[in-house]
Amino acid sequence: MTTLSDLKISEVKLAAEEGGKWGMVIDQDICTGCQACVAACAMENNIPFVGEEDSGYGRAMHWIRIERFWEGEYPEIKMTNQQPMMCQQCGSAPCEPVCPAFATVHSQAEELNLQVYNRCVGTRYCANNCPYQVRTFNWRDYERPEPLPNQFNPDVTVRRRGVMEKCTFCIQRIHKAQDKAKSEGRDVMDGEFTTACAQACPSNAITFGRIDKEDTLVYNMIHHGHSHGKKHLEELGTLPNIVYMNGNGAA
Amino acid sequence: MSEQVSRRDFLKLAGLGAATTAVLTGCGPASRYVTREPYQQMPEYNLVGQSTYYATTCRECAVGCGIVVRTYQGRAIKVEGNANHPLNLGKTCARGQATLHGLYNPDRVTDPIKKSRGDSAGENINWDDAIQVVADALKNNQPNEIAFLLGTSSDHLFDLLTDLANSAGVNAPVRFGALSMFESRATLSKAAENLFGQAGMPWFDVANAETVFSFGANFLETWLSPLSYTRGFANFRKATETKLRGRMVQFEARMSATGAKADEWVAIRPGTEALVVLAIGKLVAEIKGGSVPRIFSSVDPLEVASQADVPLEALQHLAELFATSNVVAIPGGPALGQSNGLAVAEAVLALNILAGNVGKAGGMYISALAPNQSEYHRPASAQEMQAFVERMKNGEIKVLFVHGVNPVFELPNAIGFKEALSNVGQVISFGIFPDETAVEADYVLPDHHGLEGWGYQRVTTGTDLPVLSGAQPVVSPYYNTRSTVDVLIEAARLAGGAFASALPFADEVEFLENKVTSLMSESSGSFSAIDNVAFMASFQQYGGWWKNVDAKVSPSGSTAFSRNISAEQAQFAGEGEFFFVPFVSPTLGEAGANKPWLQELPDPTTTVMWTTWIEINPETAHELHVENDEVVKVISEAGEIEVPVYIYPAIRPDTVAIPFGQGHTAYGRYAQNRGANPADLLGLHFNEAGDLAFAGMKVRIEKTGKTKPVSRNESRMGVYGEDLGEEH
Amino acid sequence: MLKKIFNWLMQPIGLIAVGIAFLSVFSAAVYGISLTQQTPPQPIEFPHQTHVQFGIQCLYCHPGAAKGPAAGIPSQAKCWACHNQIEKTATSELLAPLKDAVLNGESIQWVPVAIVPDFVQFNHRAHVAAGKNCEDCHGDMSKVNIAENPQVMNMGWCLNCHIETAGEDQEKLIKLTDCGTCHY
Repeated sequence: MTTLSDLKISEVKLAAEEGGKWGMVIDQDICTGCQACVAACAMENNIPFVGEEDSGYGRAMHWIRIERFWEGEYPEIKMTNQQPMMCQQCGSAPCEPVCPAFATVHSQAEELNLQVYNRCVGTRYCANNCPYQVRTFNWRDYERPEPLPNQFNPDVTVRRRGVMEKCTFCIQRIHKAQDKAKSEGRDVMDGEFTTACAQACPSNAITFGRIDKEDTLVYNMIHHGHSHGKKHLEELGTLPNIVYMNGNGAA
Repeated sequence: MSEQVSRRDFLKLAGLGAATTAVLTGCGPASRYVTREPYQQMPEYNLVGQSTYYATTCRECAVGCGIVVRTYQGRAIKVEGNANHPLNLGKTCARGQATLHGLYNPDRVTDPIKKSRGDSAGENINWDDAIQVVADALKNNQPNEIAFLLGTSSDHLFDLLTDLANSAGVNAPVRFGALSMFESRATLSKAAENLFGQAGMPWFDVANAETVFSFGANFLETWLSPLSYTRGFANFRKATETKLRGRMVQFEARMSATGAKADEWVAIRPGTEALVVLAIGKLVAEIKGGSVPRIFSSVDPLEVASQADVPLEALQHLAELFATSNVVAIPGGPALGQSNGLAVAEAVLALNILAGNVGKAGGMYISALAPNQSEYHRPASAQEMQAFVERMKNGEIKVLFVHGVNPVFELPNAIGFKEALSNVGQVISFGIFPDETAVEADYVLPDHHGLEGWGYQRVTTGTDLPVLSGAQPVVSPYYNTRSTVDVLIEAARLAGGAFASALPFADEVEFLENKVTSLMSESSGSFSAIDNVAFMASFQQYGGWWKNVDAKVSPSGSTAFSRNISAEQAQFAGEGEFFFVPFVSPTLGEAGANKPWLQELPDPTTTVMWTTWIEINPETAHELHVENDEVVKVISEAGEIEVPVYIYPAIRPDTVAIPFGQGHTAYGRYAQNRGANPADLLGLHFNEAGDLAFAGMKVRIEKTGKTKPVSRNESRMGVYGEDLGEEH
Repeated sequence: MLKKIFNWLMQPIGLIAVGIAFLSVFSAAVYGISLTQQTPPQPIEFPHQTHVQFGIQCLYCHPGAAKGPAAGIPSQAKCWACHNQIEKTATSELLAPLKDAVLNGESIQWVPVAIVPDFVQFNHRAHVAAGKNCEDCHGDMSKVNIAENPQVMNMGWCLNCHIETAGEDQEKLIKLTDCGTCHY
């Protein structure tokens, strides 16, 4: 019988070299900061609300948050373009090597950063090492009084106290779409499904899809648009898979 | 043992014991304690383990966006946009997403209740008795002593009660909502009527404009049809091969979430909006050459510049921009909530005429009417609400039915709605939550939640097509609630006479069918059907019916330029030194405070969660010696509230702003006793169209010496400082 | 303090006490473990054997297995469709709970036998499509009455099969041993 240790996983190419599988393009110029993505994400992924006091301690569990910064002073003040920030699904993720429990691992199949809840022992090393500050920790078993749990998405684990969590690129939707495509004997089509945030976004500022195939929407936006956008903190060598654009660059 | 075991030792021993037990027994499978309850009778279209999707209409506000709700084993799991719906094209806002937290809210009214006023709880009654109460209320009072106060959502209930009013003589239903109050809908339609001879909701085609001049309009937040305007904004902003990136200018004293997206934010002094618009109009007319139309002629731009606290060069530069591109000008928000709000609206619409965009792509239209609507109908203005409250005070209303609105909270305190209720013999609430109005009612006969009930909603603005958005139950009722339409039909039957003949329907579905299938004969429908049953089935399946005809109206404003608009500053009430700008919380809306995830959504501009705050310019805060999180007392002529300070860099130093949405004294555990209600500060001053001059107040600020940490998402380190304390 | 307790425990009477305490905890634990390994009682002593012998396919009652994540427990309406035509239903004591439940409109509270923890996202469809038969995991139901679980469904058991199934196919192996395939 083969065991896991017999496998020659090292032969598998690092995801970093392959350049990722799923990606996202976010156009900050049309993001209005309306929070629809945040709410959609919370509803899709069974994210608990933590209440006023804990959110005051910076423990709010938004998997996606919309950052905004100020430039200048009144009256010459300007809010920078809103910046939806979530797990960048790094090709070479700083969170991964620091996990002593192998709960934060790289998915070879989907090329995403996984958070395996049942392995997580809550050291929070990963959150400390994440340059994007997008990991959230369950400081408590947050109360969701009956009948609120009726709303839980059965496709997503309900996390408990002491577990780290973060944006998964709606991996449950990826699996569902792949399962459906497979049952129909075909490949997943571009745009067949999308993440909860992209689905809700009223201005279509978020686009999700395959980046490893040409002729997909996201691939074209990244490689054939007027603007190539930028990846955040790319200089750290994290190889993030989310591209931020400020307008599409056309004059 | 002679000695007492200390707490520490006891813990050690107990720990040892627990560890041993855990090791020896292992953690046995939880399966012993789980049971599975299959359906008794599996619903049609359902499949074990598969989700079922139902199209319906979002009822979180009156806009009428189409949604598709994912249900799983009879539970609603997720709200998604209806991609075929012409209004929102598959998109949802945050409030639509959180509608599930209303459906499964732990504080819903579970049964019909008989109670005494002022109590939130009471004695449960059965529905037969409850319907008898309604029937008696109809029968034992004169028809003109019976009044219905409705929210802006659920048009089918409004139509039912309009039918009842027409044939049984009861008062026509009155509709109100805080959102429509802050949108100044009466002002917008009155301005359209005055300029174009046609009342209706103006629609601004942002998508195809080159430049947007927004005078306070918060069209990316809660205004009129936010999803539709946001989509328009996205198209406007995106440069393509054939068009440039749209350029947006926002005029307002406090930077709203919409203003934050503007390329130029012009912080004009509150009350000078009309002057600024007229001055720009005059400058533009001069640039374009020819004579200045009379409507713009009465202002002196140099004087306006000093009144509005804007350099003349800035006005000239903006006029230049206006004259050289395809502009649409939008009035809204606090600009209309002034004592001269109607003048502002008229001046802005006239600016569109000057731009030559009326009835053209990228310009201004009058919105299409919904399919089963012959003329534009708007909710009551604040002045009409005042008249209504007057009638209540005079004892002219003996029985008041309230549905879908929370007037005790949403109306300004000064209007005295709560006090007037004591002169109303019987108050019956159909509220689904124990809100402030339900607390003051004699009976609470809970309606189904919007996702559990039938209905339709007319789309009043936001799309070219006439749309009737359909609602159907996506889950069966969770509690012992009953549809208000069913209750009224049944009560009318029991009351007999004119009531029974006014509502000759077996139930709500038959009533809906009666209303909806009249559309079958219309041409160019989004679907057609061979009979009523097929039509109703498609109506549910598609989430509504719409006509594939561009029905927005291109009005003509030939006489508009000869109108006179008095070129004066707005009047402000009160003695304080600060202009006061209340605004609807973009995340909570008018009724979102009881949904916990909406509470935890950061405000788009300040990132504050879970509470109310007052926005103060840093310079002003320095002068007042107040800091972030310091609680201040805000005092107007109408009242006072206490709120913590948020030092906001993008607000005029002479202006303060407070969001509306919190400050509930009831409405469930997530809303109650949280924040403060800025409506308490509003005095009763109206503009010429009867809308509340909500931005026409002056307030003063006093220190209280108290502090309250304001939770905000911008500070990932937390707001409690370094002293985190041991227990946390 | 602890030292005193320790000294006392080292006396003969103390040792006996420790022994008794150990034995009682141990036997309670053994009893507890054995309980967890027994087939749980069901509201109806449903004989799978009998139904299989009639030639009823697994998928007739558990159709979800071929289509999605959950195989599902049949609604009692489905039971009743056959049973109301069977004379014995009216008289049999074993069938009384079914009759009562259907006639009174009450739900039957079945106890699931083969379950995985909630952090595992299991999908029946993929396994059926991969050529697995029901009995590969759930045992031969023609031989059991009340459903029992023939094996401990832990992660090692899952992975062994996944690795065997993948064989030499590297891509398949990656997919089938990826944490994110089951845990999210």
